[in-house]
Amino acid sequence: MSKMQINITVNGKKQELLAEPRELLIHVLRERLGVTGPHVGCDTSHCGACTVDMDGKSVKACTVFAAQANGADITTIEGLGGPDGLHVLQQMFKEHHGLQCGFCTPGMITRAYRLLQEIPNPSEEEVRFGMAGNLCRCTGYQNIVKAILAAAAELNAAKEAAQ
Amino acid sequence: MRESRDRIYPLDNRTASHMFANLMAHACICFRVGMTDQGNEIKMNVAPPRFGSKSLVGSPLRRKEDDAFVRGAGCYTGDIAKENMLHAVVVRSPMASGSFVIDSLDEALAASGVKLILTAEDVAHMSDLPAMGMRKGPDGIKAPYRNIPVLCRDKVRYVGDAIAFVVAETVEQARDAAELLEISFEGAEAVIDTGEALADGAPPVWPDADSNRAYVNTLGDADATAEAFKNAHHVTVIDFVQNRLVSNYMETRAAIGDWDGERNRYTLTVGSQGVHGTRDIVSRILGDDAELRVITPDVGGGFGPKGFVYREYPLVLEAAKRLGRPVRWVGDRTEHFLTDAHGRDNVVHAEMAMDGEGRFLGLRIDLTAAMGAYTHQFGVAIPWFGVTMSTGVYDIPALDFTLTGVFTHTCPVDAYRGAGRPEAAFLIETLVDACARDMQLAPDEIRRRNFIRPDQMPYRTPGGRLYDVGEFAGHMDRAMENADWAGFPARLETSKARGRVRGIGMASYIEACAFAGSEPAFVALQDDGTVTVDIGTQSNGQGHATAYAQFVAETIGLDINAVEVIQGDTDRIAKGGGTGGSRSIPLGGVSAYRAGEALATKIRKIASEELEASPDDIELSGGQAVVAGTDKAISLADIAKAATDPADLKAEAEFKQDEATYPNGTHICEVEIDPATGIAEVVRYTIVDDFGMTVNPMLLAGQVHGGVVQGIGQALLEQTVYDETGQLLTASFMDYALPRAGDVPNFSFETRNVPSITNALGIKGAGEAGTIGAAPAAMNAVTDALYRAYGVTHINMPATPAAVWEAIRRARE
Ligand code: FES
Ligand code: FES
Repeated sequence: MSKMQINITVNGKKQELLAEPRELLIHVLRERLGVTGPHVGCDTSHCGACTVDMDGKSVKACTVFAAQANGADITTIEGLGGPDGLHVLQQMFKEHHGLQCGFCTPGMITRAYRLLQEIPNPSEEEVRFGMAGNLCRCTGYQNIVKAILAAAAELNAAKEAAQ
Repeated sequence: MRESRDRIYPLDNRTASHMFANLMAHACICFRVGMTDQGNEIKMNVAPPRFGSKSLVGSPLRRKEDDAFVRGAGCYTGDIAKENMLHAVVVRSPMASGSFVIDSLDEALAASGVKLILTAEDVAHMSDLPAMGMRKGPDGIKAPYRNIPVLCRDKVRYVGDAIAFVVAETVEQARDAAELLEISFEGAEAVIDTGEALADGAPPVWPDADSNRAYVNTLGDADATAEAFKNAHHVTVIDFVQNRLVSNYMETRAAIGDWDGERNRYTLTVGSQGVHGTRDIVSRILGDDAELRVITPDVGGGFGPKGFVYREYPLVLEAAKRLGRPVRWVGDRTEHFLTDAHGRDNVVHAEMAMDGEGRFLGLRIDLTAAMGAYTHQFGVAIPWFGVTMSTGVYDIPALDFTLTGVFTHTCPVDAYRGAGRPEAAFLIETLVDACARDMQLAPDEIRRRNFIRPDQMPYRTPGGRLYDVGEFAGHMDRAMENADWAGFPARLETSKARGRVRGIGMASYIEACAFAGSEPAFVALQDDGTVTVDIGTQSNGQGHATAYAQFVAETIGLDINAVEVIQGDTDRIAKGGGTGGSRSIPLGGVSAYRAGEALATKIRKIASEELEASPDDIELSGGQAVVAGTDKAISLADIAKAATDPADLKAEAEFKQDEATYPNGTHICEVEIDPATGIAEVVRYTIVDDFGMTVNPMLLAGQVHGGVVQGIGQALLEQTVYDETGQLLTASFMDYALPRAGDVPNFSFETRNVPSITNALGIKGAGEAGTIGAAPAAMNAVTDALYRAYGVTHINMPATPAAVWEAIRRARE
């Protein structure tokens, strides 16, 4: 199969590579670039384990062809925290036991990161609805929701303090 | 609208009355031993030690493992890419029953990137996947196993049965080549429904047998039970289907095979629930003289089915050996649905004989359990665990249980979270509610009349189990209080005013954990003053690295971050029993604690020599050994240097338990149903659990939340559906409804711990309890709602909107 030239930015780093037209973004990230935070949990776009942020939107990287991501700016779980610290969401997932096996966690946190920009002060119901694309089999969701609400509160408090 | 509260974790809410009950239980033992329990001497350990309020054990410490996970730095099998690694896919049967001939591999072998194709002939030297746990039938004979061949030889028995293993440079190439195998199939009739497996003329799964009956096991006293039924004032009968589930851990299975010819040694990297058991079974299948090392990195959920050995494990090793390169197989979600062991799937008929007051006199159960197409690793034994727990928390004098295992042309069935015990709890708890309706008693009243009382402990059940302690009525009362049971009528009126129907249901469950056995722990003081704990259980996400560290850190006066827990490598850990049946903390936790104590003693001895003090005066805290009341101290790192014999820096312990432990409690669920859509929404959910002792309340709550959601999933959403030809219709998340964040509420969870006296630290185990209590509580709530509004007395799981809507429509007709 003839390959295509793809230029993408992943977690701030420019990447150039050749990809088959049928190659998925998730495979490029995981198999070619060694970015293994986002996981593959299904083959039908239903689990959200592969969620990454692409040009300011949550996308399921298993449902995006690498070719469609050409020119895009992509943030994965690895790019969320600063070099010396964790993002508030990462801290709150730890603090509120929002993870067990951790397999869904990169997708969960990456989705929550975008959700809190879409709705900076969400209700519990909005969080549950906004996270509906991400499956977790371990936690029963209660502590995930708690972690996201706690992160929202913290981010809002920080914003207020800055004003 | 949801109304549940989110409780904070009570650190230790054992009250004086619980401690008193514990003492009373001891008094009973003294009385009971040799007195009432004819022939069976009851052996129990002494009262467990109490951990103080400053102790690490019992504190909601945050997890050691999370920093890596939240950064995306977890390392699961599928994340591992080895140099020069090849990729494999499995060619699977597209039909449920039939024979096949492989006409040609030529085209596939010639396809780009293809390195190897294995078929049954290539693995003829391997043995089939061994099953175990078959019990003698009433005729005194053990039925034969029907083990899974590594690759099918000429017959396929379910959709997904493995036929060939294709290895190529890339997954895409392997997949492309798999399409090129030329295979001629001749299809045959299939039997799919568990309830139809024994019907006249049912197509045989194993044609050399005279029926699809896999085995029959019986338990109890048929004569005494018949007598109880003769004397009954009323008999309540229920019939239901215990739906088939797919475990759906989010990480699908994966395996990497490596071969080291020089050392005549395989390495298997696999997400397992214990490396030692995996090694022993895979070695047996391989049947050669090579050594096998098994490594388990991070595991993305296990729930039972990840603990078994599957065909791909010997296959990646065989391929790696033949090709001299690492070979990786990563299953996809469809393969998970098709071929990872399924759970549950029983057809049940049960009858309860009662006196005029609603007291239980006898219980008769006829249960048909699906095995799938083969005997899976522990598949034949799983329903039996349920059989032995069938009388639940009730004092039922007579039991007559007939269990029939049957083969169908479906994926094999084995342990899934709870493994037999959720089935038992569901059976008895929904039967008890049916009894209450028949006798016009409140659900709590009928339970109260029949609970085994604390003064009857220890109590030998008709199923042969020995309960050590339990305060079933106390837990139920507390749960009713927390759930505001008394306020239900008012909430019902509010729902009615909105055109909704509402129901409340409870389940007072009990389960058996940490079956008799042991789990060794090995601790060692390292040069830098940190301590390692080697243990052969396997965290699948439960947080073992934190829990074990709490035990060991406690004994040596360290921060948990100075204790490293090592699991998942047969080269490093001498032996281990693995994780399953909620055994890791009750068994492994005690061993870790005792090993820690033994190491602390050795450390004190060295310190006493270095500091010229008596070992009794040495206190261990903050990574130092201090002479009490002085400023004389030595760091653990210096102690490690001072040791003259390396054995002085190591200790091990292996706690053995002769009986299971019995966590129990009450779940109360409230649902609101919209009759227009049939949607049943869980609006309140309350849990009061007795786990004996709490190691880490935060981890505990996590186990309970996740377990409850799996139970609610079974009750309201999850269903594995095959069509009549054996095609799996629910082979993806499009068709199999896994609970999502919006499907479930917050939970009110509290412990009311009565320490176990079987377990040395009082621990009962908590990995499965949530699932066990939840399905019956949720279904009792749904049935209660439908009964109040429409007189409906039964609905099968899952109570999906369509099923509820249909039940309402029928009742209205
Ligand atoms: S892998 Fe499941 S949604 Fe992408
Ligand atoms: S933490 Fe295991 S799937 Fe979410």
